[in-house]
Amino acid sequence: MIGIVDYGLSNLTCVEAAVRRFGFETEIGSRPDMLDRADKIILPGVGAFGDAMRNLRQSGMTEALDRHVRQKRKPFLGICLGAQLICRDSDEHGHHEGLGWIDASVRRIAAEAPLRIPHVGWDDLRMQPHAKSLLFENIPADALFYFTHSHAIYPSSGEVVTAYCEYGQRFAAAVQTDGNIHATQFHPEKSQRYGLALLENFLRQS
Amino acid sequence: MLRRRVITVLTFVDGVLFRTKLFDPDYRYTLSFVDTWSIDEIVVLDISRSPEEGRGRFAEVVRNIAQSCFVPLAVGGGVRSVDQVKRYLDLGADKVVVNTGAVENPSLISDIAAAYGNQCCVVSIDAKMHNDRKYEVFTHFGTQPTGMTPAEWAGRATERGAGEILVNSIDRDGSLSGYDIDLCRSVTAATSVPVLICGGAGNWKHFLEGLTSGGADAVCTNNIYHFTEVSIQSAKTFLARNGIPVRQ
Repeated sequence: MIGIVDYGLSNLTCVEAAVRRFGFETEIGSRPDMLDRADKIILPGVGAFGDAMRNLRQSGMTEALDRHVRQKRKPFLGICLGAQLICRDSDEHGHHEGLGWIDASVRRIAAEAPLRIPHVGWDDLRMQPHAKSLLFENIPADALFYFTHSHAIYPSSGEVVTAYCEYGQRFAAAVQTDGNIHATQFHPEKSQRYGLALLENFLRQS
Repeated sequence: MLRRRVITVLTFVDGVLFRTKLFDPDYRYTLSFVDTWSIDEIVVLDISRSPEEGRGRFAEVVRNIAQSCFVPLAVGGGVRSVDQVKRYLDLGADKVVVNTGAVENPSLISDIAAAYGNQCCVVSIDAKMHNDRKYEVFTHFGTQPTGMTPAEWAGRATERGAGEILVNSIDRDGSLSGYDIDLCRSVTAATSVPVLICGGAGNWKHFLEGLTSGGADAVCTNNIYHFTEVSIQSAKTFLARNGIPVRQ
């Protein structure tokens, strides 16, 4: 069963539809006990970092996520805001602490005119050859993915980065740590063919 | 490199797909007509004037599109509160489009941005050209003048937190004679967020003009003849051949 975390801000419909499309059972929930039943966990997200962390803390989800993802090492996929939440902190609307699973900060996209912010649309990635992620298996290096964000993940070291996106100062498009924790700044559930392929790679891993 | 986008705009009245204002509603065209693989993004607008019943059918339309099209979806139509935004997001929208609601209450833009992030809020601007070639923003389905130029309003909306600006030429809408390039340029010069141009697209040259002379980040079409797979692919091939970075 794939557990999709609902923390009150995210658009879950498409993520759920995508997961179901591959024949997996899903459960959408905001309470920690849902994670007990989940084999894999998806943390989607659209919204403000501070509100998201507050909601996750209030429901007890932050501890539950630590337990099931960091200790029990269940496969985890963070999407967009869900990817940003695993960072140390964010400066969106004030300073906020994240889950702290990777040594990275979320900051407003560092890009200047004529580049426009938010970064919206289909963009390509710079896959890191030394950091092969199962997410990108059988996905061509020039695949495009859909981004829509004003803040991005800037890691302290490139270790966790499996793919960068170059838009102004390059930021992490996809990260991976500890073997089971994956996250993408782009929306795979909105990225049609290759996005769905990436999701399938995540879902079908043993 | 970020690609320019080709976006389909679907307008609904009481849950039925409506062609542009120069045509009568045509019940032959259903959603299966709409390409979902080559198109970069879909905008769905509810222009029903009758409230509840029409909205219920529209909600079904949004849900269906969200569940079957794995492509970004922006939804608009009478958005006047953050609650309505939440309803559309829960149905599967990634962004909401605000028009009259934002002019009447500019704080709506900042409220949406605060709750869901700037990128969630697309401010749509309908503009008419006056005889002296000046443009004015109109609300309420293009009937109420506001006294603002599109550039002015685009600038203010951006300050409030708009993530994107969608500018539509009321005069050109449905005319198939091309976008209003001067209108487009006036808006792209007035804001630092992505600009989507709409109103008048007839052939691929119009798309090209919008993206080059107009400086738009995305071109929109509400011309149903553009909605098929073959059509969108053909448009993108044309754009790519003319040096525009597009997703193919």
